Amino acid sequence: MKGDMYLAQSSDDAILKKSEHGGVVTSLLKFALESKRVDAVLAIKARNGNRYDGIPVLITDPETVIETAGSLHCASPNIARFIKEYLNGAFDMKIAVVCKPCDARGIIELVKRTQINMDNLTLIGLNCTGTLPSAPAKRMFHEEFEVNPSDVIREDLEEGKLTITLKDGTEKQKDLDELEQKGYGRRENCRRCDINIPIMADIACGKWGTDGKKATFIEVCSEKGSDFIEKAIEAEYIKVEKPDSRAIESRKKRNEEEILLARKWQEKDFASLREMSTEEKFSYWLGEFSRCIKCYGCRNACPICYCKDCILEADRGIVAPGEIPPDVIFPMIRSVHVMDSCVNCGQCEDVCPMDLPLARLILMLNRELGNIFKNEPGMDVNAPIPLKSVTDKELTVADVEIQF
Amino acid sequence: MDKFEPKIVAFFCNWCSYAAADLAGTSRIQYPPNVRTIRVMCSGRVSELLILKAFALGADGVLVGGCHPGDCHYMKGNLSARRRVTGLKPFLNAIGISSDRLRLQWIGASEGLKMAETISDFTDTIRNLGPNPLKRRQK
Repeated sequence: MKGDMYLAQSSDDAILKKSEHGGVVTSLLKFALESKRVDAVLAIKARNGNRYDGIPVLITDPETVIETAGSLHCASPNIARFIKEYLNGAFDMKIAVVCKPCDARGIIELVKRTQINMDNLTLIGLNCTGTLPSAPAKRMFHEEFEVNPSDVIREDLEEGKLTITLKDGTEKQKDLDELEQKGYGRRENCRRCDINIPIMADIACGKWGTDGKKATFIEVCSEKGSDFIEKAIEAEYIKVEKPDSRAIESRKKRNEEEILLARKWQEKDFASLREMSTEEKFSYWLGEFSRCIKCYGCRNACPICYCKDCILEADRGIVAPGEIPPDVIFPMIRSVHVMDSCVNCGQCEDVCPMDLPLARLILMLNRELGNIFKNEPGMDVNAPIPLKSVTDKELTVADVEIQF
Repeated sequence: MDKFEPKIVAFFCNWCSYAAADLAGTSRIQYPPNVRTIRVMCSGRVSELLILKAFALGADGVLVGGCHPGDCHYMKGNLSARRRVTGLKPFLNAIGISSDRLRLQWIGASEGLKMAETISDFTDTIRNLGPNPLKRRQK
Protein backbone atom coordinates (compact mmCIF):
# COMPACT_ATOMS: atom_id res chain seq x y z
CA MET A 1 0.00 0.00 0.00
CA LYS A 2 1.06 3.56 -0.56
CA GLY A 3 2.82 4.90 2.52
CA ASP A 4 4.21 1.51 3.59
CA MET A 5 7.76 1.49 4.87
CA TYR A 6 10.27 -1.33 4.94
CA LEU A 7 13.79 -1.99 6.07
CA ALA A 8 15.03 -4.21 3.30
CA GLN A 9 18.08 -6.18 2.31
CA SER A 10 19.01 -7.97 -0.86
CA SER A 11 18.77 -11.78 -0.78
CA ASP A 12 21.65 -12.04 -3.23
CA ASP A 13 25.01 -12.24 -1.49
CA ALA A 14 26.99 -11.02 -4.49
CA ILE A 15 24.87 -7.86 -4.71
CA LEU A 16 24.94 -7.35 -0.98
CA LYS A 17 28.72 -7.52 -0.99
CA LYS A 18 29.15 -4.98 -3.77
CA SER A 19 26.46 -2.56 -2.63
CA GLU A 20 26.90 0.23 -0.12
CA HIS A 21 23.88 -0.48 2.00
CA GLY A 22 21.15 -3.06 1.51
CA GLY A 23 21.66 -3.64 -2.20
CA VAL A 24 17.91 -3.29 -2.59
CA VAL A 25 17.92 -1.07 -5.67
CA THR A 26 20.14 -3.45 -7.61
CA SER A 27 18.03 -6.42 -6.57
CA LEU A 28 14.83 -4.64 -7.54
CA LEU A 29 16.26 -3.87 -10.96
CA LYS A 30 17.24 -7.50 -11.36
CA PHE A 31 13.78 -8.60 -10.30
CA ALA A 32 12.13 -6.15 -12.72
CA LEU A 33 14.12 -7.59 -15.62
CA GLU A 34 13.85 -11.26 -14.68
CA SER A 35 10.13 -11.10 -14.02
CA LYS A 36 9.65 -9.32 -17.38
CA ARG A 37 7.88 -6.41 -15.67
CA VAL A 38 10.08 -4.13 -17.72
CA ASP A 39 11.94 -4.42 -21.02
CA ALA A 40 14.98 -2.57 -19.72
CA VAL A 41 16.34 -0.71 -16.75
CA LEU A 42 18.01 2.67 -16.81
CA ALA A 43 20.72 3.20 -14.23
CA ILE A 44 24.04 4.96 -13.79
CA LYS A 45 27.41 3.30 -13.95
CA ALA A 46 31.00 4.45 -13.88
CA ARG A 47 32.48 4.45 -17.38
CA ASN A 48 35.54 2.17 -17.44
CA GLY A 49 35.49 2.14 -13.66
CA ASN A 50 36.05 5.90 -13.45
CA ARG A 51 33.96 7.22 -10.55
CA TYR A 52 34.12 10.75 -11.92
CA ASP A 53 32.50 9.78 -15.20
CA GLY A 54 29.06 8.41 -14.43
CA ILE A 55 26.98 7.62 -17.49
CA PRO A 56 23.40 6.45 -17.92
CA VAL A 57 23.16 2.87 -19.18
CA LEU A 58 20.19 0.96 -20.51
CA ILE A 59 20.42 -2.64 -19.38
CA THR A 60 18.42 -5.59 -20.68
CA ASP A 61 20.57 -8.43 -19.33
CA PRO A 62 19.79 -9.13 -15.63
CA GLU A 63 23.32 -10.44 -15.06
CA THR A 64 24.96 -7.09 -15.84
CA VAL A 65 22.73 -5.10 -13.48
CA ILE A 66 25.29 -5.63 -10.72
CA GLU A 67 27.70 -3.30 -12.54
CA THR A 68 25.53 -0.39 -11.47
CA ALA A 69 25.58 -1.24 -7.76
CA GLY A 70 26.85 1.43 -5.39
CA SER A 71 26.25 5.15 -5.63
CA LEU A 72 28.23 7.70 -7.61
CA HIS A 73 28.27 11.15 -6.07
CA CYS A 74 30.42 12.80 -8.71
CA ALA A 75 28.00 12.28 -11.57
CA SER A 76 24.91 14.28 -12.41
CA PRO A 77 23.47 12.76 -15.56
CA ASN A 78 20.39 14.27 -17.12
CA ILE A 79 18.01 11.32 -16.80
CA ALA A 80 14.77 13.07 -17.77
CA ARG A 81 16.22 14.55 -20.93
CA PHE A 82 17.93 11.23 -21.71
CA ILE A 83 14.62 9.37 -21.68
CA LYS A 84 13.00 11.96 -23.90
CA GLU A 85 15.83 12.30 -26.43
CA TYR A 86 17.23 8.80 -26.71
CA LEU A 87 14.53 6.42 -25.49
CA ASN A 88 11.65 8.02 -27.36
CA GLY A 89 10.05 9.16 -24.12
CA ALA A 90 9.47 5.52 -23.10
CA PHE A 91 6.57 5.35 -25.55
CA ASP A 92 7.64 2.00 -26.94
CA MET A 93 9.30 0.17 -24.05
CA LYS A 94 8.75 -0.39 -20.37
CA ILE A 95 11.63 0.93 -18.32
CA ALA A 96 12.52 0.93 -14.64
CA VAL A 97 14.45 4.12 -13.94
CA VAL A 98 16.75 4.79 -11.02
CA CYS A 99 16.54 8.47 -10.26
CA LYS A 100 17.41 11.20 -7.80
CA PRO A 101 14.61 13.53 -6.69
CA CYS A 102 15.46 16.14 -9.37
CA ASP A 103 15.54 13.47 -12.09
CA ALA A 104 12.12 12.20 -11.02
CA ARG A 105 10.75 15.74 -10.98
CA GLY A 106 12.13 16.42 -14.44
CA ILE A 107 10.49 13.24 -15.69
CA ILE A 108 7.16 14.27 -14.17
CA GLU A 109 7.35 17.71 -15.78
CA LEU A 110 8.02 16.09 -19.15
CA VAL A 111 5.09 13.71 -18.60
CA LYS A 112 2.86 16.76 -18.11
CA ARG A 113 4.14 18.03 -21.45
CA THR A 114 3.35 14.65 -23.08
CA GLN A 115 7.01 14.01 -23.89
CA ILE A 116 7.32 10.90 -21.71
CA ASN A 117 4.85 8.09 -21.16
CA MET A 118 4.49 7.57 -17.43
CA ASP A 119 2.55 4.29 -17.85
CA ASN A 120 5.70 2.61 -19.09
CA LEU A 121 7.95 3.90 -16.34
CA THR A 122 8.67 2.63 -12.86
CA LEU A 123 10.56 5.26 -10.93
CA ILE A 124 12.91 3.93 -8.28
CA GLY A 125 13.87 7.04 -6.34
CA LEU A 126 17.07 7.44 -4.36
CA ASN A 127 17.45 9.72 -1.38
CA CYS A 128 19.92 12.43 -2.23
CA THR A 129 21.75 15.03 -0.20
CA GLY A 130 23.65 16.38 -3.14
CA THR A 131 26.12 15.57 -5.87
CA LEU A 132 29.66 16.81 -6.40
CA PRO A 133 30.82 18.41 -9.65
CA SER A 134 33.30 15.89 -11.05
CA ALA A 135 36.33 18.01 -12.01
CA PRO A 136 36.28 20.23 -8.89
CA ALA A 137 35.70 17.10 -6.79
CA LYS A 138 38.94 15.58 -8.09
CA ARG A 139 40.74 18.81 -7.31
CA MET A 140 39.20 18.86 -3.84
CA PHE A 141 40.29 15.27 -3.11
CA HIS A 142 43.77 16.14 -4.27
CA GLU A 143 44.18 19.46 -2.47
CA GLU A 144 41.97 19.29 0.59
CA PHE A 145 41.98 15.59 1.39
CA GLU A 146 45.50 15.13 0.02
CA VAL A 147 44.72 11.82 -1.61
CA ASN A 148 44.97 10.55 -5.14
CA PRO A 149 41.47 10.96 -6.64
CA SER A 150 41.70 7.57 -8.33
CA ASP A 151 42.16 5.89 -4.92
CA VAL A 152 38.74 7.01 -3.74
CA ILE A 153 36.26 4.17 -3.85
CA ARG A 154 33.37 5.76 -2.02
CA GLU A 155 32.02 9.16 -1.00
CA ASP A 156 29.33 9.89 1.51
CA LEU A 157 27.55 13.13 2.35
CA GLU A 158 26.03 12.82 5.77
CA GLU A 159 25.27 15.17 8.66
CA GLY A 160 27.22 18.06 7.17
CA LYS A 161 30.32 15.92 6.63
CA LEU A 162 31.93 14.61 3.48
CA THR A 163 33.47 11.23 4.14
CA ILE A 164 35.61 9.43 1.60
CA THR A 165 36.84 5.87 1.70
CA LEU A 166 40.08 4.90 0.01
CA LYS A 167 41.15 1.67 -1.66
CA ASP A 168 43.11 0.58 1.40
CA GLY A 169 40.08 1.05 3.63
CA THR A 170 41.07 4.28 5.37
CA GLU A 171 38.40 6.91 5.80
CA LYS A 172 38.86 10.65 5.66
CA GLN A 173 36.31 13.17 6.76
CA LYS A 174 35.93 16.91 6.35
CA ASP A 175 33.33 19.45 7.26
CA LEU A 176 31.12 20.11 4.24
CA ASP A 177 30.38 23.67 5.25
CA GLU A 178 34.08 24.49 5.44
CA LEU A 179 34.71 22.94 2.03
CA GLU A 180 31.82 24.86 0.54
CA GLN A 181 33.14 28.14 1.92
CA LYS A 182 36.30 27.43 -0.05
CA GLY A 183 34.30 26.86 -3.20
CA TYR A 184 34.44 23.06 -3.11
CA GLY A 185 31.76 20.69 -1.99
CA ARG A 186 28.40 20.08 -3.56
CA ARG A 187 27.03 21.62 -6.73
CA GLU A 188 25.43 24.96 -6.01
CA ASN A 189 21.90 23.86 -6.82
CA CYS A 190 22.30 20.79 -4.58
CA ARG A 191 23.10 23.04 -1.63
CA ARG A 192 19.80 24.81 -2.20
CA CYS A 193 17.80 21.64 -2.82
CA ASP A 194 15.17 20.95 -0.17
CA ILE A 195 13.80 17.73 -1.61
CA ASN A 196 15.94 14.86 -0.39
CA ILE A 197 13.44 12.00 -0.34
CA PRO A 198 11.89 11.34 -3.76
CA ILE A 199 8.28 10.89 -2.66
CA MET A 200 7.15 11.76 -6.20
CA ALA A 201 8.72 8.53 -7.52
CA ASP A 202 7.09 5.12 -7.14
CA ILE A 203 9.36 4.03 -4.34
CA ALA A 204 11.93 6.01 -2.36
CA CYS A 205 15.06 4.17 -1.21
CA GLY A 206 17.74 5.44 1.10
CA LYS A 207 19.84 4.74 4.10
CA TRP A 208 18.27 7.17 6.55
CA GLY A 209 16.60 5.24 9.34
CA THR A 210 18.77 2.16 8.90
CA ASP A 211 20.92 3.08 11.87
CA GLY A 212 24.16 1.90 10.31
CA LYS A 213 22.78 -1.57 9.59
CA LYS A 214 23.45 -3.03 6.17
CA ALA A 215 19.95 -2.32 4.94
CA THR A 216 17.94 0.04 2.79
CA PHE A 217 14.96 2.01 4.00
CA ILE A 218 12.11 1.90 1.50
CA GLU A 219 9.06 4.11 1.41
CA VAL A 220 6.33 3.10 -1.01
CA CYS A 221 5.00 6.23 -2.71
CA SER A 222 2.46 4.99 -5.24
CA GLU A 223 0.19 2.03 -5.98
CA LYS A 224 2.47 1.01 -8.83
CA GLY A 225 5.41 1.02 -6.43
CA SER A 226 3.45 -0.97 -3.89
CA ASP A 227 2.64 -3.73 -6.39
CA PHE A 228 6.27 -3.79 -7.50
CA ILE A 229 7.66 -4.14 -3.98
CA GLU A 230 5.13 -6.78 -2.95
CA LYS A 231 5.95 -8.93 -5.97
CA ALA A 232 9.66 -8.52 -5.31
CA ILE A 233 9.20 -9.68 -1.72
CA GLU A 234 7.08 -12.63 -2.87
CA ALA A 235 9.73 -13.65 -5.37
CA GLU A 236 12.29 -13.40 -2.56
CA TYR A 237 14.60 -10.92 -4.24
CA ILE A 238 14.60 -8.83 -1.09
CA LYS A 239 14.09 -9.60 2.59
CA VAL A 240 12.12 -7.04 4.52
CA GLU A 241 11.22 -6.17 8.05
CA LYS A 242 9.06 -3.39 9.41
CA PRO A 243 11.07 -0.43 10.66
CA ASP A 244 10.37 0.50 14.27
CA SER A 245 9.09 3.95 15.15
CA ARG A 246 12.59 5.03 16.15
CA ALA A 247 13.92 4.32 12.65
CA ILE A 248 11.05 6.22 11.02
CA GLU A 249 11.58 9.08 13.42
CA SER A 250 15.32 9.29 12.81
CA ARG A 251 14.77 9.30 9.04
CA LYS A 252 12.25 12.08 9.37
CA LYS A 253 14.59 14.06 11.57
CA ARG A 254 17.51 13.69 9.16
CA ASN A 255 15.28 14.88 6.35
CA GLU A 256 14.13 17.91 8.30
CA GLU A 257 17.70 18.84 9.17
CA GLU A 258 18.70 18.72 5.52
CA ILE A 259 15.69 20.80 4.51
CA LEU A 260 16.56 23.40 7.11
CA LEU A 261 20.11 23.58 5.83
CA ALA A 262 18.94 23.91 2.22
CA ARG A 263 16.52 26.70 3.13
CA LYS A 264 19.42 28.53 4.76
CA TRP A 265 21.40 28.30 1.55
CA GLN A 266 18.37 29.48 -0.42
CA GLU A 267 17.93 32.49 1.81
CA LYS A 268 21.60 33.34 1.61
CA ASP A 269 21.82 32.99 -2.17
CA PHE A 270 18.55 34.77 -2.90
CA ALA A 271 19.12 37.58 -0.42
CA SER A 272 22.14 38.82 -2.36
CA LEU A 273 19.95 39.03 -5.48
CA ARG A 274 16.98 40.58 -3.74
CA GLU A 275 18.78 43.17 -1.63
CA MET A 276 20.02 45.12 -4.62
CA SER A 277 18.15 48.24 -5.70
CA THR A 278 16.27 48.17 -9.00
CA GLU A 279 19.15 49.91 -10.79
CA GLU A 280 21.73 47.59 -9.28
CA LYS A 281 19.71 44.53 -10.26
CA PHE A 282 19.45 45.81 -13.79
CA SER A 283 23.13 46.47 -14.22
CA TYR A 284 24.05 43.20 -12.50
CA TRP A 285 21.86 41.05 -14.73
CA LEU A 286 22.62 42.95 -17.90
CA GLY A 287 26.29 42.49 -17.08
CA GLU A 288 25.81 38.76 -16.59
CA PHE A 289 23.66 38.39 -19.69
CA SER A 290 26.21 40.26 -21.79
CA ARG A 291 28.69 37.44 -21.17
CA CYS A 292 26.36 34.94 -22.85
CA ILE A 293 27.90 33.40 -25.97
CA LYS A 294 24.62 31.93 -27.22
CA CYS A 295 25.86 28.35 -27.20
CA TYR A 296 22.30 27.13 -26.50
CA GLY A 297 23.81 24.81 -23.89
CA CYS A 298 21.31 25.75 -21.20
CA ARG A 299 18.42 25.17 -23.54
CA ASN A 300 19.75 21.84 -24.75
CA ALA A 301 20.43 20.57 -21.24
CA CYS A 302 17.23 21.76 -19.58
CA PRO A 303 14.87 18.87 -18.90
CA ILE A 304 11.87 21.20 -19.14
CA CYS A 305 12.71 22.70 -22.56
CA TYR A 306 11.09 20.47 -25.13
CA CYS A 307 9.94 22.56 -28.14
CA LYS A 308 11.04 20.93 -31.38
CA ASP A 309 11.14 24.32 -33.06
CA CYS A 310 12.64 26.69 -30.49
CA ILE A 311 11.69 30.36 -30.76
CA LEU A 312 15.29 31.32 -29.97
CA GLU A 313 16.70 29.67 -33.09
CA ALA A 314 18.24 32.08 -35.60
CA ASP A 315 15.62 31.42 -38.28
CA ARG A 316 12.69 32.37 -36.06
CA GLY A 317 13.24 36.11 -36.37
CA ILE A 318 13.47 36.89 -32.64
CA VAL A 319 17.20 36.59 -31.97
CA ALA A 320 19.39 37.93 -34.75
CA PRO A 321 21.83 35.36 -36.17
CA GLY A 322 25.56 35.84 -35.71
CA GLU A 323 25.32 38.38 -32.92
CA ILE A 324 27.36 37.81 -29.75
CA PRO A 325 26.32 38.52 -27.06
CA PRO A 326 22.77 37.88 -28.18
CA ASP A 327 20.06 40.43 -27.58
CA VAL A 328 18.87 40.51 -23.97
CA ILE A 329 15.67 38.82 -25.16
CA PHE A 330 17.59 35.52 -25.39
CA PRO A 331 18.29 34.99 -21.67
CA MET A 332 14.98 36.63 -20.77
CA ILE A 333 12.91 34.21 -22.84
CA ARG A 334 15.04 31.28 -21.68
CA SER A 335 14.34 32.10 -18.04
CA VAL A 336 10.69 32.95 -18.48
CA HIS A 337 9.86 29.81 -20.45
CA VAL A 338 11.10 27.49 -17.71
CA MET A 339 10.72 29.49 -14.51
CA ASP A 340 7.28 28.13 -13.62
CA SER A 341 8.49 24.52 -13.77
CA CYS A 342 12.16 24.60 -12.79
CA VAL A 343 13.05 21.42 -10.89
CA ASN A 344 16.39 22.78 -9.65
CA CYS A 345 18.47 20.11 -11.38
CA GLY A 346 21.24 22.62 -12.04
CA GLN A 347 21.98 21.30 -15.53
CA CYS A 348 21.85 24.79 -17.07
CA GLU A 349 24.56 26.05 -14.78
CA ASP A 350 26.63 22.87 -15.16
CA VAL A 351 26.84 23.24 -18.91
CA CYS A 352 27.20 27.03 -19.10
CA PRO A 353 30.71 27.79 -20.40
CA MET A 354 30.46 31.34 -19.06
CA ASP A 355 29.27 30.31 -15.58
CA LEU A 356 26.19 32.50 -15.61
CA PRO A 357 24.19 32.09 -12.37
CA LEU A 358 21.16 30.80 -14.27
CA ALA A 359 20.03 28.14 -11.82
CA ARG A 360 20.08 30.66 -9.01
CA LEU A 361 17.91 33.16 -10.91
CA ILE A 362 15.47 30.58 -12.19
CA LEU A 363 15.08 28.79 -8.87
CA MET A 364 14.50 32.09 -7.09
CA LEU A 365 11.78 32.98 -9.59
CA ASN A 366 10.35 29.51 -9.31
CA ARG A 367 10.03 29.80 -5.53
CA GLU A 368 8.34 33.20 -5.92
CA LEU A 369 5.94 31.84 -8.50
CA GLY A 370 5.39 28.78 -6.33
CA ASN A 371 4.14 31.07 -3.58
CA ILE A 372 1.82 32.90 -5.96
CA PHE A 373 0.42 29.88 -7.78
CA LYS A 374 0.67 27.48 -4.81
CA ASN A 375 2.59 25.05 -6.93
CA GLU A 376 5.69 22.95 -6.59
CA PRO A 377 6.92 21.60 -9.92
CA GLY A 378 7.55 17.93 -10.49
CA MET A 379 5.68 16.64 -7.47
CA ASP A 380 2.40 15.59 -9.01
CA VAL A 381 1.67 14.46 -12.58
CA ASN A 382 -1.83 15.91 -12.35
CA ALA A 383 -0.86 19.37 -11.09
CA PRO A 384 -1.33 21.98 -13.83
CA ILE A 385 1.60 23.98 -15.24
CA PRO A 386 1.12 27.43 -13.67
CA LEU A 387 1.69 29.66 -16.69
CA LYS A 388 0.21 27.32 -19.27
CA SER A 389 -3.14 26.34 -17.83
CA VAL A 390 -6.26 27.91 -16.39
CA THR A 391 -9.05 26.50 -14.27
CA ASP A 392 -12.81 27.08 -14.42
CA LYS A 393 -12.70 28.47 -10.92
CA GLU A 394 -10.77 31.50 -12.12
CA LEU A 395 -13.77 32.61 -14.21
CA THR A 396 -15.42 33.76 -11.01
CA VAL A 397 -12.54 36.05 -9.99
CA ALA A 398 -13.27 39.47 -11.45
CA ASP A 399 -10.12 41.31 -10.42
CA VAL A 400 -6.96 41.62 -12.55
CA GLU A 401 -5.04 40.28 -9.59
CA ILE A 402 -5.69 36.80 -8.42
CA GLN A 403 -4.98 34.76 -5.30
CA PHE A 404 -4.58 31.04 -5.74
CA MET B 1 16.81 68.35 -21.67
CA ASP B 2 13.69 67.16 -23.42
CA LYS B 3 10.77 66.32 -21.24
CA PHE B 4 10.37 62.55 -21.01
CA GLU B 5 7.38 61.33 -22.95
CA PRO B 6 6.76 57.64 -22.30
CA LYS B 7 6.15 55.25 -25.12
CA ILE B 8 3.61 52.63 -24.16
CA VAL B 9 2.79 49.53 -26.16
CA ALA B 10 -0.80 48.48 -25.64
CA PHE B 11 -2.09 45.06 -26.66
CA PHE B 12 -5.88 45.32 -26.90
CA CYS B 13 -8.16 42.42 -27.58
CA ASN B 14 -10.33 42.70 -30.65
CA TRP B 15 -13.63 42.14 -28.85
CA CYS B 16 -13.52 44.36 -25.78
CA SER B 17 -10.57 46.65 -25.18
CA TYR B 18 -10.02 47.58 -28.80
CA ALA B 19 -13.72 48.37 -29.14
CA ALA B 20 -13.48 50.43 -25.96
CA ALA B 21 -10.56 52.41 -27.39
CA ASP B 22 -12.63 52.96 -30.50
CA LEU B 23 -15.54 54.11 -28.40
CA ALA B 24 -13.34 56.50 -26.44
CA GLY B 25 -12.29 57.99 -29.77
CA THR B 26 -15.75 58.30 -31.30
CA SER B 27 -17.03 59.75 -28.01
CA ARG B 28 -14.22 62.32 -28.18
CA ILE B 29 -12.87 61.45 -24.75
CA GLN B 30 -9.36 62.85 -24.38
CA TYR B 31 -6.48 60.61 -23.39
CA PRO B 32 -2.68 60.93 -23.64
CA PRO B 33 -1.19 60.13 -27.06
CA ASN B 34 1.59 58.00 -25.57
CA VAL B 35 -0.04 54.70 -26.38
CA ARG B 36 0.81 52.63 -29.44
CA THR B 37 -2.07 50.24 -29.84
CA ILE B 38 -1.65 46.76 -31.25
CA ARG B 39 -4.83 44.85 -31.87
CA VAL B 40 -4.75 41.16 -31.07
CA MET B 41 -7.61 38.75 -31.41
CA CYS B 42 -7.50 37.88 -27.72
CA SER B 43 -5.47 38.94 -24.71
CA GLY B 44 -4.60 35.24 -24.47
CA ARG B 45 -2.51 35.79 -27.60
CA VAL B 46 -0.18 38.09 -25.70
CA SER B 47 2.60 35.71 -24.82
CA GLU B 48 5.59 36.38 -22.58
CA LEU B 49 7.54 36.80 -25.78
CA LEU B 50 5.45 39.72 -27.06
CA ILE B 51 5.68 41.55 -23.75
CA LEU B 52 9.42 41.01 -23.32
CA LYS B 53 10.11 41.88 -26.96
CA ALA B 54 8.28 45.17 -26.46
CA PHE B 55 10.50 45.93 -23.47
CA ALA B 56 13.64 44.81 -25.29
CA LEU B 57 12.82 47.16 -28.17
CA GLY B 58 12.54 50.03 -25.73
CA ALA B 59 8.90 50.34 -24.71
CA ASP B 60 8.62 52.18 -21.40
CA GLY B 61 5.45 50.39 -20.46
CA VAL B 62 3.28 47.54 -21.69
CA LEU B 63 -0.47 47.60 -21.22
CA VAL B 64 -2.54 44.49 -21.85
CA GLY B 65 -6.27 45.02 -22.23
CA GLY B 66 -8.72 42.14 -22.17
CA CYS B 67 -12.36 41.32 -21.59
CA HIS B 68 -13.70 40.92 -18.08
CA PRO B 69 -13.50 37.31 -16.85
CA GLY B 70 -16.51 35.44 -18.19
CA ASP B 71 -16.84 37.75 -21.22
CA CYS B 72 -13.94 36.37 -23.25
CA HIS B 73 -14.91 35.58 -26.82
CA TYR B 74 -12.78 32.45 -26.54
CA MET B 75 -13.97 31.56 -23.03
CA LYS B 76 -10.68 31.59 -21.12
CA GLY B 77 -8.14 33.53 -23.15
CA ASN B 78 -8.14 36.45 -20.74
CA LEU B 79 -7.51 34.08 -17.83
CA SER B 80 -4.32 32.90 -19.52
CA ALA B 81 -3.29 36.54 -19.90
CA ARG B 82 -3.87 37.10 -16.20
CA ARG B 83 -1.68 34.13 -15.25
CA ARG B 84 1.09 35.25 -17.59
CA VAL B 85 1.14 38.82 -16.36
CA THR B 86 1.05 37.60 -12.75
CA GLY B 87 3.98 35.32 -13.50
CA LEU B 88 6.01 37.91 -15.40
CA LYS B 89 5.92 40.53 -12.66
CA PRO B 90 8.36 38.75 -10.31
CA PHE B 91 10.67 38.22 -13.27
CA LEU B 92 10.67 41.89 -14.26
CA ASN B 93 11.35 42.86 -10.65
CA ALA B 94 14.18 40.36 -10.36
CA ILE B 95 16.12 41.66 -13.33
CA GLY B 96 15.61 45.31 -12.48
CA ILE B 97 12.80 46.36 -14.78
CA SER B 98 10.09 47.51 -12.41
CA SER B 99 6.97 45.34 -12.59
CA ASP B 100 4.88 48.54 -12.52
CA ARG B 101 5.80 48.91 -16.18
CA LEU B 102 3.51 46.03 -17.00
CA ARG B 103 -0.19 46.37 -16.41
CA LEU B 104 -3.20 44.23 -17.15
CA GLN B 105 -6.63 45.82 -17.25
CA TRP B 106 -10.06 44.44 -18.00
CA ILE B 107 -11.91 46.94 -20.22
CA GLY B 108 -15.30 46.00 -21.63
CA ALA B 109 -16.44 47.20 -25.07
CA SER B 110 -18.73 49.81 -23.52
CA GLU B 111 -16.14 51.26 -21.15
CA GLY B 112 -14.69 54.09 -23.22
CA LEU B 113 -14.25 56.26 -20.19
CA LYS B 114 -12.44 53.54 -18.26
CA MET B 115 -10.10 53.17 -21.23
CA ALA B 116 -9.22 56.86 -21.12
CA GLU B 117 -8.73 56.75 -17.36
CA THR B 118 -6.55 53.65 -17.56
CA ILE B 119 -4.31 55.17 -20.19
CA SER B 120 -3.96 58.49 -18.32
CA ASP B 121 -3.18 56.75 -15.08
CA PHE B 122 -0.70 54.32 -16.63
CA THR B 123 1.04 57.11 -18.54
CA ASP B 124 1.48 59.02 -15.28
CA THR B 125 2.88 55.94 -13.57
CA ILE B 126 5.41 55.40 -16.35
CA ARG B 127 6.32 59.08 -16.43
CA ASN B 128 7.22 58.84 -12.75
CA LEU B 129 9.24 55.67 -13.30
CA GLY B 130 11.32 57.25 -16.06
CA PRO B 131 12.57 55.68 -19.26
CA ASN B 132 12.95 51.93 -19.70
CA PRO B 133 16.52 51.03 -18.65
CA LEU B 134 16.85 48.79 -21.70
CA LYS B 135 16.32 51.83 -23.94
CA ARG B 136 19.01 53.82 -22.14
CA ARG B 137 21.37 50.98 -22.83
CA GLN B 138 20.76 51.11 -26.57
CA LYS B 139 21.76 54.77 -26.90
